[in-house]
Amino acid sequence: MEADHVLRIRYFLILCIILAILLPLTAQTGTSTSQLTEELQPQFSRALVLVRRAEAAGATHEEVAGLVLLLNKALQLSEEATRLPSSEAQSAALLAQMNETLGKVETEATRLEATASQRTLTNRVIAYVSGGVGAFLATLGYAYTGHIWRKYRIKRTFQMRISPK
Amino acid sequence: MFSQNSRNLLVVFLTLLIIFEMFAYVATTPRPREQFFQLYVLGGNQLLSDYYPNDDPNIRVGDLVRWHVGTTDFMGSVQLVVIRIKLGNQTIRPPDDIQAQPSPAPLITEFSRFIQDNETWEFPFFWQVTNASMMEGSTRILELQINNATYQVPGVIAVGGHNLRLVIELWTWDVQSQTLQFGWSVGSERRSAWLQMWFNMTGPGGQ
Repeated sequence: MEADHVLRIRYFLILCIILAILLPLTAQTGTSTSQLTEELQPQFSRALVLVRRAEAAGATHEEVAGLVLLLNKALQLSEEATRLPSSEAQSAALLAQMNETLGKVETEATRLEATASQRTLTNRVIAYVSGGVGAFLATLGYAYTGHIWRKYRIKRTFQMRISPK
Repeated sequence: MFSQNSRNLLVVFLTLLIIFEMFAYVATTPRPREQFFQLYVLGGNQLLSDYYPNDDPNIRVGDLVRWHVGTTDFMGSVQLVVIRIKLGNQTIRPPDDIQAQPSPAPLITEFSRFIQDNETWEFPFFWQVTNASMMEGSTRILELQINNATYQVPGVIAVGGHNLRLVIELWTWDVQSQTLQFGWSVGSERRSAWLQMWFNMTGPGGQ
């Protein structure tokens, strides 16, 4: 009778262990569709921040398009990696490739930010200096026109004749 | 010290300088604009028509429905966009625009992509119900196939097979909170974009 009871407890414990192993697995399959964006947040987020900084610094649409292309390539690689849960080696290789691509994005975005901010600063300085130069040239034009006008008025004055009415 | 003429020229120069520098400021400062996303669904021919086979929203198991889902980024920066597809019935709550809450309908799948400012991302969305059961006047969709991938549907039942819907929600990555959010943030304000496409499954074809 007591042996039976011990056996039951053993079976119960074995069942608990099996359930403890299986439950997380089933939970993973249930959320597989949204895993990508939940798991790979930090790397993608870091890369996205750097790309946005480059964009805000004044990188052109074409320059940013190159980075977006690499980001999407990394996204595609991670999607492929999550679709291959059985082949760990292949999945690891894809994830390594994804990390490499994201590293490339970060390096390129940092370089682009420096170049773009330098270019934006130069353009801004050129615009403001051009404003000053333009104002100076316009003032010279005004002075010269005034000078010509005065000369013309003097000439006209000396050309005047007094005619009796 | 200065002649009247020089003083006049100085006044003219300063006035022109202010005007020209204002032009330079306007030319070099990016103009603020409204930040938003556009989300749309087109029919099989990429037009606002032909959403269902024979223009009949009463579909059967195995009927292939061809749509094209697209979104355009007008946020002024690169965005990580996630389009989430959910399946609901008549009673399930749709997304809430005011509270920026997504629909509680079960998630079937999602599509993600980085898109840059002024870029449109459009992709084919071909789907069909591959398994459904009909019991006591109710239709239960068990399996959906979307773009050749099969998804099990966790219990969506429609009375009489009427008023089923696919809810298409736009989610974006929020860099500040490091989370995926329904809709997008503009300053402290939350906005959202979503669509729902209604269909019926009243005909034969279920199990």
